[in-house]
Amino acid sequence: MKADAIRGHLDGLLLAVLEPGPRHGYAIITAVQQRSGGALELRTGTIYPALNRLERLGLLRSTWDSVGERRRRCYELTDAGRRGLADERSAWRAFTTAIGSVLDPQPGSAT
Amino acid sequence: MSAMPSVEAHAAELAASLHGPEKVRTRLVDEIREGLADTIAAHTREGEPPEGVFERAVREFGTPAELAPSCQRELTVAQTRRTSLTVALAVPVVLAAWSLAWGASAVALAVGIVGVVLALGTLAATGSVARGLPVPGWLPLVAAWSGTIAGVAVVPTTLALALTSAASWPLVLLASVLAVVAHGVVAGSARTCRRCARLTPA
Repeated sequence: MKADAIRGHLDGLLLAVLEPGPRHGYAIITAVQQRSGGALELRTGTIYPALNRLERLGLLRSTWDSVGERRRRCYELTDAGRRGLADERSAWRAFTTAIGSVLDPQPGSAT
Repeated sequence: MSAMPSVEAHAAELAASLHGPEKVRTRLVDEIREGLADTIAAHTREGEPPEGVFERAVREFGTPAELAPSCQRELTVAQTRRTSLTVALAVPVVLAAWSLAWGASAVALAVGIVGVVLALGTLAATGSVARGLPVPGWLPLVAAWSGTIAGVAVVPTTLALALTSAASWPLVLLASVLAVVAHGVVAGSARTCRRCARLTPA
């Protein structure tokens, strides 16, 4: 799936992979790639400014986490982030239902 | 790791192309440096030959030129917020100093209130209040020029007040010092904001 198609949904993807618990940037990248089965063509470095934006909007909070000599920024959902994720999910379901019912009409449905 | 100098060069090239608040820029570049190092480590763990591992990792992660536009967009918003906060803090201080030295002026007060309201509005439009709404593309440039005008106007206005109205010299001195400091802080922040707005892709 091309980068242009993903752009509008990146926020939802990032919030969703943070739902189980806090993760640092690279773990977020890995989780998105694993859940999508590697089908998303995304320049993985672009998630860092996206995480920064979600934190500015109050949907995430972050802390530095030191592992040996490496320092990584760990992100977690805020309450507003959980609500944002629920909104993204319902918007996505409504969208896929509407498009799906046009692309794949059920047998016997009108017109 | 032999690839590390290349990681540093990647981070340095990205950092050099970005403008905005130093703390935000350093944090973003540091995170991206770590992310690229993690990507290289993952490729190496998967048993890829060391030759060309950096290039393959960068193809997946993004070159500095590919990452810069989204990073700059974030830095421009951060700088817009900083300039707005500077204006929102500096305007009341200057107005209070003017009022103390030369008495309250309804016009100055009205202009000041409009300035502070616009600055606070910009902070709200770029923060959690405006969640879900995109930051308008013109906002950074408008905030930058508003800051520039406010920063520039404060010095001649203070000078004109000092030359035309009577006031005790310690208060004139205080108002003048505050005006010069406000000019330096606001104009400097607005200059950086103009530069960020110019660099931000549409």
